[in-house]
Amino acid sequence: MTLALVPYPPQVELTCGPVTSLDLALFAAASGDHNLLHLDPAAAQAAGFDRPVVHGMLTMAYTARLCSSHFGAGSVRALQTRFTGVAKLGDTVKIEARLARMEGAQAVYELSARAQGGGELMAGTARIERRSAA
Amino acid sequence: MTDRSRIGFTTAPTTVLVDVWRVKLFCQATGETDDVYWNAEAARAAGHPACPVPPTFLKAIEGEHFSSAQVMQLLDVPLRGVLHAEQAFEHFAPVHVGDAVEISRAVADIHDKKAGAFTFIVVDTHYRVGGRPVAASRQTILVRNAVNAAQPS
Repeated sequence: MTLALVPYPPQVELTCGPVTSLDLALFAAASGDHNLLHLDPAAAQAAGFDRPVVHGMLTMAYTARLCSSHFGAGSVRALQTRFTGVAKLGDTVKIEARLARMEGAQAVYELSARAQGGGELMAGTARIERRSAA
Repeated sequence: MTDRSRIGFTTAPTTVLVDVWRVKLFCQATGETDDVYWNAEAARAAGHPACPVPPTFLKAIEGEHFSSAQVMQLLDVPLRGVLHAEQAFEHFAPVHVGDAVEISRAVADIHDKKAGAFTFIVVDTHYRVGGRPVAASRQTILVRNAVNAAQPS
């Protein structure tokens, strides 16, 4: 069976975390985003949050990992996310992707992320096309 | 009030090398364990010329060019009231470890919502390798003006 004939699953999901201080420090170093909102409880409190805030880009990286783990490296052609809530230190993040439609060879998934026991963190879309074998 | 005159501000392109250590650190930080990102031999066995980078990795090297914190500094916006509201990527071609990525960023828009309580700053980024576009991104930054007004820097 060629790749083009492998159907895209209707739904895939990934649960990450609980997000630790080490995760946030590593992501700050990897991403260059050293905003203290993500690292320092006092800075988070000054901004109105009871705990340090998980980088939106970390949630988005988890989302990308969900996609590439199912469809392969190089399969994510577009990824769009709106950060509708804030995940915080210690939260578990659950990401779901639901197949919305096919557009030619590309599968369009609707994305959502929620903190465990909490509200929505993120909504968006991913445009996926499996990379053909070299 | 965020300075609207900066709409259209565009950075001069600079080149950032995709270092193997940064891709590994990014994968460690994001829980990415697929060997294709970690091991050049595994990547070649899967048909890649070298280890590819994960889909949102390009955001991580933007800071070596001109970070969003620098954009905020340019606009005289304190980081304390700032949140990341939206992010989008389009990928035109794969990027690999060892690639020299030419990056340029531009302030595409600045607008208010909720009677000035929130300001949204839109920043577009273009990434090229060997003169060819490989990706584009759009970041929307939310400034909560009340947080900044309450605690002047």
